[in-house]
Amino acid sequence: MKQFYGMSPRGNLEEAVHGLNDPQLIMLFSNAKQFEAHVAALEHLYPGVPSIGCVGMSYQLSVAENGVGVIAFSGGVSVAANVLEHVSTMPVKYIRRLEQDVQTVHGSGRDTVCIDFCAGNDACVLTTLNTVLSKRSIPLVGGTGDQGKVSANGRIYEDAVAYAIVRNLNGRVKTYKENIYHPMGDYRFVASDTDRAKYILGSLNGRPAKQVYQSILHVTDEEILTRTFQNPFGKVNGDDICIISIKEVDGNALACYRQVNDSDILILLELGDYKAINQNTIRQILGDFPRRSAVFSVNCLFRYKLFSEHGYMGTYLREMTALGSHAGFVGYGEHYNNRFINQSMTCVVFE
Amino acid sequence: MLFKQKHPQANEETGLYPVLHVAESLKTYQSDLAKKEVASLSELSMVVSSFSNVLKEADHFQEKLQDLGDSFSNIDRTAERFHQVRSEIASKVELSQKQVEDLGQVSSQIQQSYDEMAQIFSHLQTAINGIQTCMKKIVAIADQTDILAINASIEAAHAGSEGRGFAIVATQVKELAREIKLLAGDVNTGVRDVEQRASQLNDSILTSQQTLGQSMESMAQTGKGFQRITEAAEGAADVQTEIAGVIRTSQQDLQNLCMFFNQIRDQYQQVVKHIDQASKLGTTKSAMFEDMSNMLSQIRPLMEESKG
Repeated sequence: MKQFYGMSPRGNLEEAVHGLNDPQLIMLFSNAKQFEAHVAALEHLYPGVPSIGCVGMSYQLSVAENGVGVIAFSGGVSVAANVLEHVSTMPVKYIRRLEQDVQTVHGSGRDTVCIDFCAGNDACVLTTLNTVLSKRSIPLVGGTGDQGKVSANGRIYEDAVAYAIVRNLNGRVKTYKENIYHPMGDYRFVASDTDRAKYILGSLNGRPAKQVYQSILHVTDEEILTRTFQNPFGKVNGDDICIISIKEVDGNALACYRQVNDSDILILLELGDYKAINQNTIRQILGDFPRRSAVFSVNCLFRYKLFSEHGYMGTYLREMTALGSHAGFVGYGEHYNNRFINQSMTCVVFE
Repeated sequence: MLFKQKHPQANEETGLYPVLHVAESLKTYQSDLAKKEVASLSELSMVVSSFSNVLKEADHFQEKLQDLGDSFSNIDRTAERFHQVRSEIASKVELSQKQVEDLGQVSSQIQQSYDEMAQIFSHLQTAINGIQTCMKKIVAIADQTDILAINASIEAAHAGSEGRGFAIVATQVKELAREIKLLAGDVNTGVRDVEQRASQLNDSILTSQQTLGQSMESMAQTGKGFQRITEAAEGAADVQTEIAGVIRTSQQDLQNLCMFFNQIRDQYQQVVKHIDQASKLGTTKSAMFEDMSNMLSQIRPLMEESKG
């Protein structure tokens, strides 16, 4: 298979798709103003080609903050793209679509991946998607788009998740998650007094969450919001850690960018040597895949901000080219299998 | 007054309301389960904390056991020095005994010399006595000679001028006798002096002999003392052997105790492993609760939409 990346900082779609021939899946990353127009134009240019899209920033060697970006797969993939609607309340209503698409692509966890762009209620959406994908052990990589809308096959959907089931016909696929944070101290908390709908974290080990965070890190209410770049929470799930960003202070509670549930086990994280961790991820992928067709990744907006502040984003994207064809987009939250996470990078590698 | 029981609405009996009721009940159970899980995880956390202290105490105790083992080894090493000290004492005692024996032999030889000297002094006294007897005889002879000279002078005087020459001889004899007596007196004086000094020397020798005798008695006592020291050192060696035996037994007991603790430690590690595993499973359960909650939350909207 081949991966195409094109972009136009001016928002010119034709410029962005210049050189794109016989695509089998097109992923569109547009801006809020031109999204509808770009979706329609793309369908017009490539009628019948499976496509998904969202409002977001794409990247290859640099991040296209405005305009439009296009990532496409061709030459050796089998794809089915669709949407689940009403994701804020009942995405399961449309689950047969996914079941049929998975059936159509007829892939397995070894050669197939689900890529999704979600408009909200991510955790619920991922749980729902996973009820089907897990039966075939199909991994998932995706992220949250902006403006609460996505596109699939030339149509705009609000309150929906657009997905593409992609089967690599010439080799394996494998998903990765990169966490640049590590546990800080031996802090371990049981979450309680949570509000799932509002992503509120009320108490940690029975004490107000804000006080706990402040007493450990000695920060003011205002500093909490920026301190999450250095010290987010981690939700422990077996051997895995899902990062949870802090959004704002809500009384004595903390509002987060993902839901926290009563009985969740949380730990405090601190920023590690992200350059070394990036290199380690690259080495791991090179070790797992001596021959790579493409790497599609989703980087968190917070990582983009952090790397940009440290003057590292350009270097990071250049380093990732060591993997060959690498492209992706900046998400408001990242999806990795059935988990909704923050401040992470997820990617899928095609052999 | 009679009240008619209201019949449930038909759609509640025949529609999807019971399914919704089941879903809501499941959500309540799920919520209760999550609360129980919070409590369970808190308890588990306390178990982990408590057990962590138990492990620390166990480690501390094992360190103390190790220290005790080291102390036993130190005692053993120190006790082993008894043997070394005993050997050194025996060696020194043997050397000292040899020196005392040599001293005893020398003292005996001196004692023998003293005896011989006593005999010599006895002979000397006899000789002095002989000299004194001879001198008395010489003085007696001189006295007789003097009387004879006086008699001769008297006879010479009676003889007149014919006896004048004889009188001169008698005077010279008398003078000779007087000189002899004077010389005999000097000899007697010298002999008495010799006798007196010989007596003093004899007394000194007797005193030395007595002192030597006392020294020999002390040497004999010293020999017995050395024997007692050797016996005492042998006793210390026996104590060392007993200490070594007790330490060997204690070390064996300690080793058994350490082995027991190692086994306990393995068991502790197993418990820690299981607690960690339980803790990990607890965290995965919370993810499952989230999934359950995510799925259950969709039932009501589905129901409401189907009713609508």
